[in-house]
Amino acid sequence: MRDLIVLGGSSLPTLTRLICRNLTLEKSRVEQKKFSNGEISIEIKDSVRGKDVFIIQSGCGHVNDNFLELLIMISACKTSSAKRVTAVLPFFPYSRQPENPKVAMEHRESVAAQGYLASLSAKSKTLATNDAGIDFLGEVDENGRDNSGYKQWVSQNGTVIAKLLMTAGADRCITMDLHDPQFQGFFDILVDNLYLTPLFKRYIIDYVPEYKDCVIVSPDSGGAKRATSIADSLGCSFALIHKERKIKVEPAGLGSPVLRASESVMSTNATTINSSMLVGDVKDRVCVLIDDLADTCTTITRAALVLKEAGASYVLCLVTHGIFSGDALEKVLISDIDKFVTTNSIPQAEHSRFLGEKRFEVLDVSRIFAEAIRRINNGESVSMLFDHGW
Amino acid sequence: MSSNSIKLLASDVHRGLAELVASRLGLKLTPSELKRDSTGEVTFSIGESVRDEDIFIICQIGSGVVNDRVLELLIMINACKTASARRITVILPNFPYARQDRKDKSRAPITAKLMADMLTTAGCNHVITMDLHASQIQGFFDVPVDNLYAEPSVVRYIREHVSYKEAIIISPDAGGAKRAAGLADRLDLNFALIHKERARANEVSRMVLVGDVTDKICIIVDDMADTCGTLAKAAEVLLDNNAKEVIAIVTHGILSGNAIKNINNSKLKAIVCTNTVPFEEKLDLCPKLDTIDISGVLAEAIRRLHNGESISYLFKNAPL
Repeated sequence: MRDLIVLGGSSLPTLTRLICRNLTLEKSRVEQKKFSNGEISIEIKDSVRGKDVFIIQSGCGHVNDNFLELLIMISACKTSSAKRVTAVLPFFPYSRQPENPKVAMEHRESVAAQGYLASLSAKSKTLATNDAGIDFLGEVDENGRDNSGYKQWVSQNGTVIAKLLMTAGADRCITMDLHDPQFQGFFDILVDNLYLTPLFKRYIIDYVPEYKDCVIVSPDSGGAKRATSIADSLGCSFALIHKERKIKVEPAGLGSPVLRASESVMSTNATTINSSMLVGDVKDRVCVLIDDLADTCTTITRAALVLKEAGASYVLCLVTHGIFSGDALEKVLISDIDKFVTTNSIPQAEHSRFLGEKRFEVLDVSRIFAEAIRRINNGESVSMLFDHGW
Repeated sequence: MSSNSIKLLASDVHRGLAELVASRLGLKLTPSELKRDSTGEVTFSIGESVRDEDIFIICQIGSGVVNDRVLELLIMINACKTASARRITVILPNFPYARQDRKDKSRAPITAKLMADMLTTAGCNHVITMDLHASQIQGFFDVPVDNLYAEPSVVRYIREHVSYKEAIIISPDAGGAKRAAGLADRLDLNFALIHKERARANEVSRMVLVGDVTDKICIIVDDMADTCGTLAKAAEVLLDNNAKEVIAIVTHGILSGNAIKNINNSKLKAIVCTNTVPFEEKLDLCPKLDTIDISGVLAEAIRRLHNGESISYLFKNAPL
């Protein structure tokens, strides 16, 4: 382990400590301060000259503050003659790219206006709602076109975030379960995308009784590939929940037989319906929902509801990045999810306290990252981690 | 066919300055929306075509949420770039991280340089700023930077609001001596300097006055006021040296932390800031605050830049 330096950003103190312990290394000292006007000041206390520096920071908490802190730290290491700087981003900020904020981001929006009690009383019907918010642009239809026919231009933030990392001076980037694998192509530097599927497979084999009989479920069509690959390698069956957004129906047609399970009527417009369709058989079986991230948890709680209504006996959720913004935790608390498993790519102590350790489990990813850091530092292959995990 | 006209964009947070500039140019702001989701990530959408247009993005960065504003700005620039804008000019009156412009300790970052690189990376083709903390920051950029001066507007304010014949210009530290001397020359006034020994950032220690201020109206001139501790101390030193009254004129009134308390408790008669930094909500809390509107300077700079005219006229003259 030569010339290896691990620095921690302020977002992930626990994971940084665990990674350092796995590497049997002292975390190097960094002083992070904020001036009274909100600007960040960084001072790296140990020499990094000629060293192989790894900086650990996640895109959680206050995303923009943390991201800029990372950039400033990278830049500080570069100007202090570090040999190589690697940004370790367990959860990559801005990795989701909306097509149109009013359409594609709808399922990410919080239902803060409704509050906890309101969502309790209206449990099954109002999981997805709220297209309120400040409107400067006026109404758009489902394709993002306004009444003049111009389709609003929406920023695609992936490229600029990747470019900023390179500008700051990162030579390499390690992340885990990127939302879009294509994101790697935005970089001109090396990106190692680690996969958590081996760990999830291990978890299913170890903790799901009779795991051959369980059903792996993808909560939306985007995650189908991830879920099928796990199902295939375990020899389990597979189901998919297909979301159909905003189908216009006549109010009389609310009970239409085409729409199954959880139909949530938009509070603002009674003629729009969000419907979910389940493809596959889950009756009396253990369902394992697999997804890469859970933010507002609307998708995953609705999926759990659909599964329960279709007769699933137990719903287990395996999610790589548990962000839980807005009132997500409250949604999970009242949902039909029997157990929620996520990783410490984002600090989970608060969430764990809220949901209780019986229902909420956190897997440790520090060993995967420590091993990746060790291998990259030694110039060994990282792809072995893709198959076997750690 | 494209008209290649001026398109003014601003984020939703502080539209005040942008709207002033727009009305001076006889334009409307281009409809746009900045959306923050519950995690704090930002998406920006533009409500009309900007293809082959001349884009000007106005961004006021105040205190408190600097980093959010910076990242929002970068995303706005990149959205315009990917929307095939012809040229993107960023108007950043108060340049963020301008004070971290040198490696003053070992392994300290030069964040101002990083900011410059980031703006260029995002796709900005031209930067307009005002009263940079150190004008050398212009050299950090690979794109042209126009550093405008608030001085002409300040000169006009002093002529209109202060009986300046009996005034003296004060620089609160040695670093600002040049700025103060320039202003004193323009107004044909005397000039004095306060020398201070600074212990740590945002803290002041001993102050020594160089020059005679007896029975004069002291005008302290500085480029930015953050917690205002220095200004309050300076006012005391000046009054101890028999000054008649003390006012402070500052380009960037960041006024963070307990600045308002410091000002209210201080012996300053007034503190005047330009509107490069939004502080409308602080005006109610502090009766001593006053504003110099610099939207005219920015509007004229935009007009001249768009038409390919010289900007240096604005270094000496403030448009009405």
